[in-house]
Amino acid sequence: MARIGVFVCWCGSNIAGTVDVAKVTEEAKKVPGVVTAVDYKYMCSDPGQNSLRNMIKEQKLTGVVLAACSPHMHENTFRKAAVKEGLNPYFVEIANIREQVSWVHEDKERATQKAVDLMKMMVEKVKRDRPIEDVRVPLNKKALVIGGGISGIQAALDIANGGVEVLLVEKEPSIGGRMIQLDETFPTLDCSSCIMTPKMVEVNQHPNIKLYTYSEVEDVSGYIGNFKVKIKKKARSVVEKDCTGCGDCWNACPMHKNVKSEFNMNLSERTAIYVPFPQAVPLVPVLDRSVCLHFKKGGKCVKCYEACGPKCIDFDIKDEIIEETVGAIVASTGYDLMDNSLYGEYGYGKYKDVVSGLQFERLLSASGPTEGVIKRPSDGTTPQTIVFIQCVGSRDPEKGVPYCSKVCCMYTAKHAKLFAHKVHGSQSYVFYIDIRATSKGYEEFVRGTMEQDGAVYLRGRVSRIYEDEGKLIVKGADTLSGNQVEIAADMVVLATGVIPKKGSDKVAQMLGISYDKYGFFTESHPKLRPAESSTAGIYLAGMAQGPRDIPESVVSGSAAASKILGLFSKNEYEVEGTIASVNEATCVACFYCQRVCGFSAISRKEIKDRSGKVIKVVASVNPGLCTGCGACVNACFSKSIDVKGFMDDQIYAEIKSLAI
Amino acid sequence: MANTDEKLQKIANDLLESGEVSLVIGYTKGSNPQRMRPAFITKTEDAGRLSFSRYAVQDLAVFLKKPEVKKFGKIGIVVKGCDEKALNALIQEYQVSRDNIKIIGVECNGIIRQNLADKGETAVSEATVYDKCLICNEHTPILYDYLVESGEPKLNVSGNIKPYAKIEELDAMSPEEKNSFWEKEFDKCIKCYACRQACPLCYCSRCIVEKNMPQWIDTNLEETGNAQWNLIRAYHLSGRCIGCGECERACPVNIPLMMINEKMARDTYELFGYKSGLDINAKPVFGVFSESDFNEFIK
Repeated sequence: MARIGVFVCWCGSNIAGTVDVAKVTEEAKKVPGVVTAVDYKYMCSDPGQNSLRNMIKEQKLTGVVLAACSPHMHENTFRKAAVKEGLNPYFVEIANIREQVSWVHEDKERATQKAVDLMKMMVEKVKRDRPIEDVRVPLNKKALVIGGGISGIQAALDIANGGVEVLLVEKEPSIGGRMIQLDETFPTLDCSSCIMTPKMVEVNQHPNIKLYTYSEVEDVSGYIGNFKVKIKKKARSVVEKDCTGCGDCWNACPMHKNVKSEFNMNLSERTAIYVPFPQAVPLVPVLDRSVCLHFKKGGKCVKCYEACGPKCIDFDIKDEIIEETVGAIVASTGYDLMDNSLYGEYGYGKYKDVVSGLQFERLLSASGPTEGVIKRPSDGTTPQTIVFIQCVGSRDPEKGVPYCSKVCCMYTAKHAKLFAHKVHGSQSYVFYIDIRATSKGYEEFVRGTMEQDGAVYLRGRVSRIYEDEGKLIVKGADTLSGNQVEIAADMVVLATGVIPKKGSDKVAQMLGISYDKYGFFTESHPKLRPAESSTAGIYLAGMAQGPRDIPESVVSGSAAASKILGLFSKNEYEVEGTIASVNEATCVACFYCQRVCGFSAISRKEIKDRSGKVIKVVASVNPGLCTGCGACVNACFSKSIDVKGFMDDQIYAEIKSLAI
Repeated sequence: MANTDEKLQKIANDLLESGEVSLVIGYTKGSNPQRMRPAFITKTEDAGRLSFSRYAVQDLAVFLKKPEVKKFGKIGIVVKGCDEKALNALIQEYQVSRDNIKIIGVECNGIIRQNLADKGETAVSEATVYDKCLICNEHTPILYDYLVESGEPKLNVSGNIKPYAKIEELDAMSPEEKNSFWEKEFDKCIKCYACRQACPLCYCSRCIVEKNMPQWIDTNLEETGNAQWNLIRAYHLSGRCIGCGECERACPVNIPLMMINEKMARDTYELFGYKSGLDINAKPVFGVFSESDFNEFIK
């Protein structure tokens, strides 16, 4: 006979302010099977939990219902308390009367009625609960990091330093990501490559890190502790172990015009066989077969091969698929800039001297196309006047994106500062909407750009840019003085908004993690679980989650690493036992369940008789993969699948309790 | 006709003789010359009973779900174009293995409505065949191992008769009017489940209506239970029904079930561009998750 206890939580005034908790408690006492019902100010507090435990003991309760906040918050708290008194944790049910009642309703009487209904439903459910055992899955203690930018590098190093083997997969020929493209970094003006290359080298030399550059993750299946990963190592055409990185090959390459350097944001050319930048890690060139004369002209050109001392150029290397099993994954795929050409009025693409923020970084950089001397892309002269335009695409719900790209205020201030340092007597103008400089040393940095470096900040937007006698005429508004301004500039730098890396939505789909409408990966909880994705065993880092600066990216890489090291500190991972189970007697093997399963958790199972003859085929659930989402339950025509803890008879009884 | 029959008989004879199949399901002449009935041929000497005609209304694919038929293993089956679509759907849903089935397709130029045939109708015409024949695009079966051409003249469709005309009428009604129309129809239902038994795609060994812990669908004969049964049947067949019409033919109280099936088929095609039973390699429309699925209905 069921002996159910109902505990109604006030949550201070959060619930009690809108729900008559005493009434809910009185109503609970009337439900058949309920032997005790109490209300308490904070059930999650120590005294609250103790009263739950005492009641389980004294009243010999077989199940408890907590009318309280969302199970996301405290289901585990109460389950643990119940377990201490010998109850199976799944005999604890939560009626969510906070998020689903008090926070969303105003009318106290009707809110109370709804709370009573939810409580009754859960009583009916708990009466029909069966004990459930959690599933334990073994962990393969190896991690995969997707994306070798600063956050991925940080994650890989931290995990590797924790003694765990890491696979770091980078799409480009070198690791380094966006950060290695930057010149100096705000607010301390350390040179980006000076602080980053030691980390890149450390990655390359680390005994626990296996680095795959010019490679992409092609397929991921499996589940936490046991992800099967396919990595495509694209044909580099260079035997890595023999290459010394001497450069004879790219110096011999006749293709030194017409191929734009991606690393230099199209501001210079590169050869067909190339390293993206001198400090590349690994310092092994890649032969770009889409432009190489050997591949385009039927094998005639072999200049690089001839020039190569150790003869490590191999035109016949093919794409290679590497299969690995890992226990956890970090998704740190990074970002791109928005397409500037959306803003025709700024003339990007039309006027050579209108450049993006990242292009200006390359113009500032000593390893860039101008060796750190600021020159106009059009004629190579040094600009004296530069106009910087902030929020190009960001904070623009009409044409761009509504969010703030977060780094532009700071890097624009840095650009203006470095311009003043490099070109004495020059003048910069910054069009801005607001200045957002909120981290340590940031506000002072921007102030310095204005006050010491003489940048003129104009609050307003630019309406139009056109060329006139070699100058870029910038027309805009200064909303603080109320005047229209017209500036004859030599260059214009657009602080373009950031968007997720192209193809990151495909990565998310491959990993089975959720992403927002812009394509940024979504955290399991925006505040309390910022490093975790929606899928167990997959963690997030860097700009792939949303705009952030370098320190935040580094922190997020470390956070993901610490989560993985924590996970790997045990030998097994416990998965909630609320997973699907098949009634083999009634299953007719139509496999609609398999088709709709988003987690590939359903497979075919043959039932054999004693002589080994297959007498029936049925669906079978892999407990490690199943998340208990219930898609299969809906798809099953004969109702032959149930999710444990959410069995058909329980749902039915819940609905019935409402109808009567 | 005689030629068609001879060909069928020869194919069945050869299949049984070579041991490629141990059972051929086909049609044989009924005692009433204007009726056909199913025949189960297991011996070569019986192959001569096989026949086909404009009265071969039954969808023989329904028998493939029966355990007593399944146990024969390799089976040959005579199918019209519409029935063959049922076979395709069964293969799609893993109920029939393509390797275990020999498909003897017959060209069909329309089946005379049984009630008219019983009154002596012999001519195949727009006015005498089933509505499904008027919209049929598969007079020649899509998939077959053997094809038996029909000697019968082609069915001429002038378009003067609108198949399933009532659907448009209902579409124009208000929800209340529709509801009262179907309430009246479902009120007739006696829960005999003949519609289910006659359906080649209702193959569950335990139908949802037989699940009694809990009993989701009331089995008694009243408004709620009747509506529940007829609606769940419709939903379970939406995107799957191939329109053979056997449910409606089996219904002893004449509920116009094909109107529901055809409406669901039209909606499925309109919303998802999917027609059931056309391709054994296609994924069933409601067994597919696609990023591009429309979701405007989520408010």
